[in-house]
Amino acid sequence: MTQLRPDIFDEAAVRLDAVTLRYDASGEILSGIDLALKPGSFSFLTGASGAGKSSLLKLLYLARPPSTGEVSLFGRPTSRLTRDQLSAMRRRIGVVFQEFRLLGHLTAYENAALPLRVMGRKEAQYRADVEELLAWVGLGERMHKRPETLSGGEQQRVAIARAVVTQPDLLIADEPTGNVDPEMGARLMRLFIELNKRLGTTVIIASHDLGLVRQINAPVYHLANGLLVKNAPEPGKASRRRGDGIEIKEAE
Amino acid sequence: MKRGETSLLPLEDAREAALFFVVGALCFLAALAALTAKSTYGAARAWTAEVEGEYTISLSDAAPQDALAATLLVQSVEGVDGARLLSEAEISALLEPTFGSRGLPADLPVPRLIAVTAAPGAGDIGRALTETLDEAGYTAAVDSHSAWAGDVRRMLGTARIVALGIVALLASTAIAVIAFATHAALLARRDIVDVLHIAGARDRFIAGLFERRFWLLGLRAGTVGALVALASVALLIAIARSSGNRSGLLPELTLDFPDLAVLVITPVIAGLAARIAAGITVMRALKSVM
Repeated sequence: MTQLRPDIFDEAAVRLDAVTLRYDASGEILSGIDLALKPGSFSFLTGASGAGKSSLLKLLYLARPPSTGEVSLFGRPTSRLTRDQLSAMRRRIGVVFQEFRLLGHLTAYENAALPLRVMGRKEAQYRADVEELLAWVGLGERMHKRPETLSGGEQQRVAIARAVVTQPDLLIADEPTGNVDPEMGARLMRLFIELNKRLGTTVIIASHDLGLVRQINAPVYHLANGLLVKNAPEPGKASRRRGDGIEIKEAE
Repeated sequence: MKRGETSLLPLEDAREAALFFVVGALCFLAALAALTAKSTYGAARAWTAEVEGEYTISLSDAAPQDALAATLLVQSVEGVDGARLLSEAEISALLEPTFGSRGLPADLPVPRLIAVTAAPGAGDIGRALTETLDEAGYTAAVDSHSAWAGDVRRMLGTARIVALGIVALLASTAIAVIAFATHAALLARRDIVDVLHIAGARDRFIAGLFERRFWLLGLRAGTVGALVALASVALLIAIARSSGNRSGLLPELTLDFPDLAVLVITPVIAGLAARIAAGITVMRALKSVM
């Protein structure tokens, strides 16, 4: 079993220790990844297509275990958790999938409320909140439509609403602005920042949109050849601090 | 699922329609087999009850007065409830299937027959009858029908076991089909299961969705199968009654309360079997993912 380093163990919301991942007999997709994200941090994950971003995110939202190494969330090594404990931990994570993964037979409203149903909440308790959230992402008029009648951007927003509806401790987004116009993209990013600022949600966003990444002065982790490297913020650009630890750079 | 909420699993599709038909057909056959098992048991009891406790004494070369005296003697034997000397007309009627309706040949030596009924709980009195008649000097043969009743019981017992075996086989087949269909449904709805799983749904929650779906499917399919079985049995009874059942050999076909209970229980068992099969299948499949 991987030996955990106690010095950073307690303070990391997300921690990967010497994590490798391989599918079947293929080579390693991820090689010896070490990563520690503080609670309430905001980070980007970049890398070329096929670099393993989605695979790394799968480890973080507990869709699969690493081949070797340890993934710890909120201070608990996930390899030691029971199935029910894993389910409970997943409820603290919001995930925005690149391909949305909305349930086609449910309306936008029902899709957004799905994690609350899974948690056993009564609709009377959450209806107003979910409707307000959907209105905020611009779907107030279309919340009772099914995904097949929504545009790609609208489906993306439903997926984001579903990910944040529980106000998760950890938000993982895979290309969350890939299908929306720049204005909506900026609006959604503000939602992520709001969650991060107000609720202390740890946010990690995978994106190959460097324009988006450059807008926000947050740590960037770059995946290449199965290895993860941390990039320092790009120097020489003016930035203004928002008072939440995240800097949004001025447009050049 | 709470009232008014959309099911997290999509409504049934063509696969479930096919499964509905298969489960319905299996329930129909199972209900028929169960009714067969039950009616063979009833028939065995009816047939053997008719002859158990009944004895026939045949007296060879006995004059009418001797036969009457022997009848009175038999009535005095302990355990005898009643004894009656059969008339020549009754004997002719018994032999009619062999000799026809024109009567018996004049030179045919026909024994005198005494029909004896044992008292309830008297046990086997055949030996006592034989000894009493022997001691009185009669040449008599006592037939307890036990061999015939034994044959009937053995034959119908075998038929009942076969019918119960068929019920068990059909039930196992239905469970296997449902387990297979659940697995296929799980694979077909992998995307939904994945989303629920990642949203933090416990295995029990996801299994519960499939259990509810297949419980209702089994219940509905079982109801249709049982109703078709009921209609089939009712038709069979109607045909049997219209044909008259004149020989009196076969027991009368009826549809009584236990038969109806079998038909009511069939869909419940089908629903429960479907629910259990679905639950086990889903829980096993989910164990293979993190």
